[in-house]
Order: sequence, then structure tokens, then C-alpha cells
Amino acid sequence: MQNWNSMPDHDFRQFMADFIAQNLPVELRGKPYRLGWEKSKPWFQTLSKAGLIAPAWPVEYGGMGLAAAKHIIYLEEMDRAGCPWMNEQGTMNVGPALIIHGTEEQRAKYLPRILSGEDVWCQGFSEPNAGSDLASVRTEARVEGDELVINGQKIWTSGAHDANMMFALVRTDKQVKKQAGISFVLMDRLQPGITIRPIRMIDGSSHFNQTFFDDARAKLSDVVGGLNNGWKVANSLLGSERLWAGSPRHAYKYLAILEKVARLAGRASDPSYIERKTQLTLDADDLASTYRRTVSTISTGRGYGFEASLLKIWQTELSQRIMELALEISSDAGGLSGDVSLDGETINLLYPYIESRPPTIFGGTVQIHRNILAKNVLKLPS
Amino acid sequence: MNANQQEAGTADEVRLLRDSAADFVKRSTNHQRTRALRETLPGHDADVLRSLTELGWPAILVPESHGGMGLGLTSMAAVLRELGRGLLGEPVVANWVLPVRALEFGDNDDLKAKLLPQMAEGKVTAALAFQERNGDFGSNVTRTTAVTSKTAVLLSGTKRFVAGCSGADGFLVTANADAGTGLYWIRREAPGLTLAHEWHADGTASGILSLSGAPAEAVAATPATCAAGLARALDEGAVMVCAELLGILSETLDRTLDYLRTRVQFDKPIGSFQALQHKTVDLFILQEICQSVLEQSVRVMDESATTSAERGRMASRCKARLSDAGLRVTREAIQLHGAIAMTDDCDIGLYFKRAITLSAWLGNAEYHRRRFASLQPPGN
Repeated sequence: MQNWNSMPDHDFRQFMADFIAQNLPVELRGKPYRLGWEKSKPWFQTLSKAGLIAPAWPVEYGGMGLAAAKHIIYLEEMDRAGCPWMNEQGTMNVGPALIIHGTEEQRAKYLPRILSGEDVWCQGFSEPNAGSDLASVRTEARVEGDELVINGQKIWTSGAHDANMMFALVRTDKQVKKQAGISFVLMDRLQPGITIRPIRMIDGSSHFNQTFFDDARAKLSDVVGGLNNGWKVANSLLGSERLWAGSPRHAYKYLAILEKVARLAGRASDPSYIERKTQLTLDADDLASTYRRTVSTISTGRGYGFEASLLKIWQTELSQRIMELALEISSDAGGLSGDVSLDGETINLLYPYIESRPPTIFGGTVQIHRNILAKNVLKLPS
Repeated sequence: MNANQQEAGTADEVRLLRDSAADFVKRSTNHQRTRALRETLPGHDADVLRSLTELGWPAILVPESHGGMGLGLTSMAAVLRELGRGLLGEPVVANWVLPVRALEFGDNDDLKAKLLPQMAEGKVTAALAFQERNGDFGSNVTRTTAVTSKTAVLLSGTKRFVAGCSGADGFLVTANADAGTGLYWIRREAPGLTLAHEWHADGTASGILSLSGAPAEAVAATPATCAAGLARALDEGAVMVCAELLGILSETLDRTLDYLRTRVQFDKPIGSFQALQHKTVDLFILQEICQSVLEQSVRVMDESATTSAERGRMASRCKARLSDAGLRVTREAIQLHGAIAMTDDCDIGLYFKRAITLSAWLGNAEYHRRRFASLQPPGN
């Protein structure tokens, strides 16, 4: 079995670049928006067959077991080549949850099916009245024999239309403090008790859904981490979601868009533009320094700490400022929708501008994260 | 010893230095004294300076072959961060970093052998005088002349913004000769040399060095090495100023947090108000960003493989960030304290003014952002 971590960084980078160049179909490259499962599935399976689909999972569970520095290289090369976003719920969320909190039976049953792409997962966390205040989930699960019977409603279920499986936070005890009565449960997404309704977003996509549970069923043996222990399981995932949101690669992606806009709009050598772009570049570079410092402390065996909140705040707000400047300098074209032709080249301005907005909202708004930092790290009174 | 053991050895040394600096700062910080020394000469307390010298810190960067400790900028940065917390950093960068490095990067081995051991022991204090007009950096803006007479090289011209001037026994001065710009060592008592002062925002002295046919004692760097050596010394010096700035802004943030936890208005500690919490969290995030870029900069500066262009970009990134952050944290600290921080009795004002002084020195944020933009590698 390949020991990736013993490979010199440079060789690993070259390996990833070569693999992507040889295997990623041209028509999947550099798409500014998410591709559905149908379109991205062949690329998923290519990575899967080569053992490259789960960079962060331990080797014993079929992952690459990459150390932090190697994992960064993996992501950088994926971005550089314009690899498409794929449904990451299985590899990024359910898999790690099972690896940390699951039983041997759960791991044996689900992990291989995540790696092969046989199961596609969606996340049922948020509810209409449990957004940033996630612990307020009300979707109720009552124990009946060896099953849970589930009723209620979820929202922002991304990719539910592509998924055959769902993991969800459900209320299994209403008598205790709200965090103490939640369970993390896996279930069949395609059962008759679950219906989904797509939500049309302001970017024109319908990636998110409402999900309705009407006596839906899950096996008690598919509760992860034990009954009423779901808050802990969910929190162990939110750290990685925040860290993902705090990666400088998002900001660099938007900086590349900004530079292209500046060139096409004839502003690239305008001193006032250069001054503002330089500030944004420095903000991204200094974020990258902080990201590397954070990742290196995590790889030395500590869990995700407050640093993930910090990175998320800085990164998501920076990406927004970059796209704000891009829109500002793009003149009339900034008011157009879809692919816009400028100087014989094509650029889509509206999509990335809108796309840069929700990261300050999902996974806890940046305001909630400031509350968390104020209370837990700065120890300010409440 | 393998590379890992070496690195661990260095990490231990740095930790020891940091602990001893933190301990020194704890014992020696006295802001009544800080106030009393403002706009006085030489502007530092003799006992504090003696203690710093006894701890061996003038020798940190001096090579072992010249009687120093031969440690890297990582060690110096660790000391400066702590000293910054107690506003005890003056005149470390000006006297123990810039002139040591400028001399070392020059090509006069005899002068190094003579001066560096004395500088390491604190017996000779040097200051670097390279700047002439407002906003001028580097060696290509020198107007001071060096004319060779029968007996000596005579320097004529005026240097401004000379930090660490008040206790200096001599100056390393850039000047133009026929062969190009060189760096000259001149004693404080040389005929034709006069020193005047203007005051930094924090009350430390900024020297104006006037030279009219003043004889230099030696050439510290010939035109062959002067420009590159000076550029490197200034980049390293800028990063060391950043270390002091980080100490200053961290201490300011800590003091502000203490105030927010204890100051009561509307029957509550004001730190319970979300508007103040969010503002303070943003300062904390900035502090973490600063620490990351500083740590990376120091590492890059200490690596022997770093090119001058990489060093320049890194130094400018660092100084741009820390100059901005130093100013922002200290002025927001005033806002978070309220009116009390506008009084001279409140220590926050001392940190505020030190941050203003250091933010402007060796290039402010605006200068370094422009420099960073101009140093982009090809292809970007």
C-alpha cells in the first residue's frame, strides 16, 4: 500500500497534478458552479478506484491518511486544475463521524459504500427554527422497538435530490437541556416517509431542499455515538466544516476572478485598483500563513479549536470584499447576468458575486462565531 | 545531531530566551518611568540598559566568531515580543539589530573583528544612518558624499530619522564616492559631526546627523556589498520592529480585555455587550493573523536559501500587516476604554504612541504595500 506521507512534498504534488491532468475530463474543468451527481460521478469513481477519494481518512478505512501538509497540497492541486465540486457529505462528514464515533458494524457497513460512491449522502441539520441556533432542532424521533420513528422538517438539505442516504440530527429527549436530547442518526433517504422539495435560490440553482419527515423510519442501530449523544457528534463535524470554510483557496479563487475582471475591464494598471487589490492579496496571503499554522497544530494531535472560527470569519468576509471590488470595477458588465463577453473573452460575474455571500451565513453566521470566540476564547462575560 | 534534534535545540533556546525576557519584563515594567523618560536624552534608563546588556542581548545576533551568541532572528524576535509588552524595546532594533547586521553584511573583516565583539558586550553602541529625506529608503537615494582626502575619507551631508542615536558611540553612514555608495563607520566625536533631535510620537529621540567634512574611521561596506547588505539589514530590521509591535498590540489587547471584564456600566461589565465583544474579537483575529505572518517571516529570514526578492516580499508583507494592526489595535483600545484612555495617566496612551512610532519607522504600511506590489514575482 502506498505510504503517501513518506513521499517528498514535491513528488506528491507532481503525482497529483499528473493524475488530474491525465484523468479529469476537460468538460468538467473550471466550472464556477456545482455539478450534479450525474455529471460528476465519473470523476468521483476515477478517484475512488485510484484510492484518492478520501484524503483525510485513515489508511485502515480506505483513506489516504494524509498528514496536514500533504492534504493541503492535495486540495491545492485539485483547485489549480479546476476540479469540480462533488458531493462531499460522505467523505467529509458521515465518514469522519463514523470513524470517530461509529461502531465497528456501522463502519463496515457504510464506509466502503461511501468510498465507492454507491451511497450518496445528504445532511439534515438545519430546520426552519434551528439555523445558527442549531441545538433547537425539533424534528422528533420516537423509539419503537428497534426503530426510530421520525416526524418533522429540515431545511437547506443540500444535494438531497442526488442522495440515497441521509444523516440527521433529531430530538430523542424533550425533557432535558436542549443539547442533551439530540441524536445523530443515519437513514434511507428514498423511503416513503421522506419527501423533499427543492428551494430555488437567488443564483438560479436548486441545490438546496426542504425535507419533510412523515413517520420516516431509521434503525436504532444506525444511531451514531449513542442515543442523545448527537450534539457531540455534530460538533466534531462542524470544526472541519469551519476549517474548510476558512481555507485560503476560496479567497485565491476569487482573487483570480478579480484579476481577470480587471484585465477585461481595462483597470489592471490603474493605481487605485492596484492599491486595493494589493491589500486584498495581503489579506489572503496572511490568511494562508494562519491557515498553515492552524493546520500544523491540528496535525500534531490537537482537535479543531477556536482557530477554525477565526479562519472562517476572516476568509469568508475577505472573499466577499474581493467580489465586491470585482463588481465595482466591472462597470456596465457588472449589471449583466450569466456568461458575459468582454474583449472576446467570457466571464461570469454575477454567479461568484452571489456565491461569495452564503459562507458568512451557513455553518453558523460570522456573528455567531464572534459570539463563540468572545465567550470561549476571550472569556468575556455574558 | 540530525536536523530534527538541531531544530529542537533551537526551539529550546528560543523558549529559554523568551521566558527570561518575559521574566525581565514582569520585573522591570514601570510606566511612571516610561513617562518620565519621554523627550529626555538619552531617553532610556541606565539601570534597564545595564540589565539588558548583562542578560547578553546585545550579542544575540553577533556571530560566535566575533564573541556573540550567533543566534537567529527567531531568538531576537522572541525577546522583542516580550520587551514590547513592557515598552522596553527601545533601543534594541536600532542598536542591536540594524548596525550589527549592516556591519556583518559588509566586506570589512578587520572592522568586524574590531567592532562586533565590543558591540556584543555593549561597550560600543552603533546606530545606522541611511535615510535622508522623508519616505526615502534603500541606498539609491543617498546624497551624502564621501571624499577621499590625503589623510581620511570625509563625509558631508545630512541624515534624518536616525533611530537609537542618543546613546550611540558611532554611526554607520551611507555616502556616495566615485565608485558608488558605500557604508562608512564614523565616531560620535569626529570633528564636523553634529547631532540634533526631533521627537518621535512616543517621546524617544529621532536623530538628525549633520556631517560637514567629517572624517570616517573606516569603510564598513564598499559599493560591492553596500546596497545588498543594507537592503537585507533593513528587511530584517523591519521584521524585528514587527516583533516589538506584536508585543505592544498583544499587551494592549490583554489590558483592554481586563478592562472589559471589570468596568461596569448599566449594572453590567461592559464586556457583556455584543457590540464591544464583536469589535474585540476582530482585534483578536488580527492579533492571530499578525502572529502567523510574523512567525513565517522570521522563519523565511532565517533560512539561508531565501533570495533577496523573497526576503523583500516577506518583510513588506509583515511590516504592512503589523504597522496597520499596531495602529488599529491601539486606537480601538482607546475607543473600548472610553475617555479614560485619552488621559496621560492611562497606560494605553503609551502603547498607542509607541505603536505610532514603530508603525512609521522603516516604512509604514502604505509604503510596504506599494513595495510588495512592485516585488511581485514574474507571472503574477
